[in-house]
Amino acid sequence: MSAVIKLSNRYKAETSELVLSGWDAYVAETTAPDWVQALRKRGAEKVRMMGLPTPKLERFKYFNVPAYLKKNALEFGAVNIELSGNTEYVSELGASYAHAFVQNMLEATPAGEEKYGDTMLWDLANSVVANGHVIDIPERSKNEKPLKIKIKGEAGKAFSTRQIIRLGDNAEFSVIESHTGEGAYWNNAVTQIKIGKGARLRHYRLQENSDESLYTQNMHIQIEEGGSYEAFTLANGAKSSRNQVHVELLGENAEVFINGINLLDGKQVGDATITVEHKAPNCLSKQNYRSVIADQAVGVFQGKAHVHQIAQKTDGYQFAKALLLSPQATMNTKPELEIYADDVKCSHGATTGQLDDEAMFYMRSRGIPEKKAKALLIEAFIGELFEEITCETMREEVSKRVSEWLENHE
Amino acid sequence: MIEIKNLSAEIDGKEILKGLDLSIGEGEVHAIMGPNGAGKSTLSYALSGRDGYEVTGGNASLDGENILELEPDERAAAGVFLAFQYPVEIPGVQMTTFLKTAVNSVRKARGEDELDALGFLKLMKSTCKKLNISEEMMKRAVNVGFSGGEKKRNEVLQMAMLEPKFAVLDETDSGLDIDALKIVADGVNALRAQNRSFLVITHYQRLLDYIKPDHVHVLADGKIVKSGGPELALELEEKGYAEFSKEEAA
Repeated sequence: MSAVIKLSNRYKAETSELVLSGWDAYVAETTAPDWVQALRKRGAEKVRMMGLPTPKLERFKYFNVPAYLKKNALEFGAVNIELSGNTEYVSELGASYAHAFVQNMLEATPAGEEKYGDTMLWDLANSVVANGHVIDIPERSKNEKPLKIKIKGEAGKAFSTRQIIRLGDNAEFSVIESHTGEGAYWNNAVTQIKIGKGARLRHYRLQENSDESLYTQNMHIQIEEGGSYEAFTLANGAKSSRNQVHVELLGENAEVFINGINLLDGKQVGDATITVEHKAPNCLSKQNYRSVIADQAVGVFQGKAHVHQIAQKTDGYQFAKALLLSPQATMNTKPELEIYADDVKCSHGATTGQLDDEAMFYMRSRGIPEKKAKALLIEAFIGELFEEITCETMREEVSKRVSEWLENHE
Repeated sequence: MIEIKNLSAEIDGKEILKGLDLSIGEGEVHAIMGPNGAGKSTLSYALSGRDGYEVTGGNASLDGENILELEPDERAAAGVFLAFQYPVEIPGVQMTTFLKTAVNSVRKARGEDELDALGFLKLMKSTCKKLNISEEMMKRAVNVGFSGGEKKRNEVLQMAMLEPKFAVLDETDSGLDIDALKIVADGVNALRAQNRSFLVITHYQRLLDYIKPDHVHVLADGKIVKSGGPELALELEEKGYAEFSKEEAA
């Protein structure tokens, strides 16, 4: 069975040829729990009405989903998600469980309909919801070592992995996601995060999808009073990848750190589109990205801090720096501030540049060969961000991968 | 032994060096003095291989090897060292990492064993001590936040660790007060050796009170126009460079 995703007139011209085989069957499946069926149905209706995002939409100006789908015939399905590392958590309440906090999506309690700013890809993910986990961390509990979630893409598949992570009040949790795969595929992933009062989540991602894949990550994060969320993404995979993050700071003194490094080459496109909504006073948000772009690759950073009228004493910061290693490399940067409160501290900065000739010559005059000198300068460029990673394991993983990438580009 | 013959070089199509001849024997210290715009810095960059300084004629050899055909890092391995007039700041690259990479790159290119972490640290510490450089400086990023004196001492430190056969000091005295100048000069003097030649490029006689040259040359309009002993420097200090500018005009 195959289905043409019908699209509204606005985008029809771009995407009427799209065929995503197996979509109808997914949407129509009747054995899934009621909430799943209902969510799929609602999602499918919206997809039929609105279509998929095209570059005609401002927020997708630099990211072309239809172009990829035209070139690759994909079939809807599910992939295996492996959980490992420390899947136990320790509760201050006395109990210790293994895996008990992780439920398969289809066995989980309903996640509820979430509000989400940029809904087209999210709706599509809803229309096929099945593949993923709900991770509930009770209040005042923590895991000593990060939970590892490994997602492996399979050639020819379109799939939609989903993680729902909910932290009870004063819980502490850390997660390392790794994304790999083979061949052409599309993971339109969804991550929903709710962080309770005083809880802390550290969320890391190693994005090493296959060079032929499309990866769209939709993130929605809600943080209650005094809660903290730290995200770090190392992205050096996928033909085209988009990390789309929507954060809502809902209670006072909540804080959020959205950091990442994009290492792009060939004809890769790496897009980080972030919106942080300050909806309570005294919150802190920091967005910090570094992109290293070689060959004809394209980097995108669209960061926005939206400060609502109630959110006085907001501290908002965003900084995006890009280093272009070739004359054909491109960086598109769009920092935005939208501020309705009158007592806030917000800053943004963006730079795009190339390797410093003087520094290169200085190092080479000391006997350091060109490739090594370049590597040192690139490491220095992104090294600033390593310090932002508070988890030792992750810092090592990132550092190792950066070195490998640099070796391949020497 | 350095032989520079009929060296011509240009920047952006403008000829700066116009057939320069210079020969420096092993262990000798030569000074080049000259007015602004004579081509002093161009000479140092042409010898060290900076992009944009195009050699259009002549050659320069170090112990018989034509260094002008080598990449900057290959020249360093061959034994050429340039102490920069304005040492470059490199944020994010720690001095220790920088020095270790440089020393081991050069050792590797020279066919010597690379130093392990411990061997390197020993070398670095002893060299720092000799040059009165605090080890704390080695934890900072290259030249970032260094004072003028620290930057120049850092150049001498790098020279000491890379053990060149031929060191070019490009206006090392610029930006230094007399105490800093003395410390830097002491460092350079400590490195004077049988198998090491120096070319000291300077605008003022002052530096040559501390680093005593065997020969002094006057560079004007891209050529050596006069050579002599140390007394030539004193003469220049007294009379200035007007004489050489006039010669040109005549």
